[in-house]
Amino acid sequence: MKVVTGVVGNDIHVVANRLIELSLNARGYEVFNLGVNTYLEEFFDAVVETGAEILMISSLNGEAEGWSREVKLLKAKYKQLDDLIMMIGGNLVVGTGNAEDIVPRYKNYGFDIVCHQVDLNTGLDMLEDLIKDRELEVSNK
Amino acid sequence: MICEINNAENKDSKENNDKLLIDVGSTYFKISTPGNIEQHFRDFNKDILDDLMHKCGKTIGGFAKDDVHIYSSANGGLTTLIIGITNTFSLKYATNIAFNSGINIIDTVLYQNIEDYSLPSDLIDVVIIVGGINSNGNIFSDSLYNYLAQLRYSNIVFVGNELDAPLIKERIENVEILPNIIDDRLHIVEEHLREYLTNLYQKDIEGKEDIKHLYDITSNQIFPTPYIVNKTLPLIDAKFSVVNPFILLDIGGATTDIHFSKDLVDENIVTENEYDRLVFKKLGVYKSKQSLIFAAQNNEFVYELLMHLKVTENIFAEQTEKSTKILMQLAIFLVLCKISHYKKAYINLKLLSINSIVLTGGITKVLTGEEIEDIISFFYKKILNSEHNPVTVLDSNYDIWTLAEKGKELCQ
Repeated sequence: MKVVTGVVGNDIHVVANRLIELSLNARGYEVFNLGVNTYLEEFFDAVVETGAEILMISSLNGEAEGWSREVKLLKAKYKQLDDLIMMIGGNLVVGTGNAEDIVPRYKNYGFDIVCHQVDLNTGLDMLEDLIKDRELEVSNK
Repeated sequence: MICEINNAENKDSKENNDKLLIDVGSTYFKISTPGNIEQHFRDFNKDILDDLMHKCGKTIGGFAKDDVHIYSSANGGLTTLIIGITNTFSLKYATNIAFNSGINIIDTVLYQNIEDYSLPSDLIDVVIIVGGINSNGNIFSDSLYNYLAQLRYSNIVFVGNELDAPLIKERIENVEILPNIIDDRLHIVEEHLREYLTNLYQKDIEGKEDIKHLYDITSNQIFPTPYIVNKTLPLIDAKFSVVNPFILLDIGGATTDIHFSKDLVDENIVTENEYDRLVFKKLGVYKSKQSLIFAAQNNEFVYELLMHLKVTENIFAEQTEKSTKILMQLAIFLVLCKISHYKKAYINLKLLSINSIVLTGGITKVLTGEEIEDIISFFYKKILNSEHNPVTVLDSNYDIWTLAEKGKELCQ
């Protein structure tokens, strides 16, 4: 499967993003890493150009939140992204926060999987569980 | 601070020994021999060659056809329509390549909304279709073919993903298939489309009555002027006291070109080119005068600028030397606005980072260094809120343009 990943907006925290790329590669995904300072439109455009099934944004210290509020609005402008798996992970708020508050908030922004301060392998396991669930749904139809 | 470029003239003359360089613009001819550069206002009642021979026949007669090199942007360039699947990658990449191939007139269509676009009524010289990395196919469908069936065009080229290419070839008559301009890492691949477009420009010139006569005096290929200038840019800071990074403004009769070094752009285009070009197709001070005035009247700062220059809007109706000066000053201001955050165009440049602004073309014959600096300083204060003061470099003697021949040799 193809994954587009990167760090959104003005965030320049590259290390975690690089580790995500390595881990995704190790699990057999084809990764398109857009790197730091990536605008939301670029993420979606990269998904369209590559035919990726997954968009995975990494973020530190709440940098992503301002951008994430525009996810639904922007995604709606694209005509073929309904099945795209949207995932975000990292430290999703400034300082510390409670996952019980943060996860629903980001899901409301349009993300399918939200990993606030979750370790990388656990996050990627969550992704694989969702992929399996979706495959099951399709086969049951 | 204002600098004049002239310190490399002798060295350059030796390198271009026995060559005659001619640039045919929409307003002026420029003729460069090893010892002299001259310019002439064009007579539009005459064929280009007749006009050229009338004004410079003696000089031209002294050179063999092999030693005459001609560049031109006088035919207005090719009209190009690009159909791509995203703004950030396919459309942006193809537009970038087209600009750097010397093409001036570009319209774009975002494929997913293709049914919402109105059809251009004019004949399009070349349609470019692009989208998808090679492993991503089945992107283009009937909506593309339906749109193309209603379009009038002379040439069509597909530079998108490999998987769609066979069906595109089958469904679109006379389509040229070239390698994808987007590689598997989402980077740009320029050379094939660039070569195709420059060759098309060449054929276009050969087909235009007015320009093809120029082959009576040269046996070399006629290149688009901006393509050659872009190839010249890497030589500028090595030869002249221009401090990098810089932008080059060429304000002409029909268009205004900006050439800039890539380190001024935070964009995702990863290219081998060190320099890029941006063209504003209707911001010239002669053939596009009305369009320039229209753009000026729609800029909220222009009245303040006119006041600063101690003139009123009535200056637009005048046909005087002073009004030409004001128009050129407006052109500088408007293009700087267009490449700043104030007006998002194709690309925004980091104008606070530039150390030099180089000006070439007819503008250097009309405005003084002080008049240009005054506008640049006004722009930085009003739009960027900054006291930054890049060095203004005037290429009054067209030295940058004559480096073009050297640039062309380097790029081959």
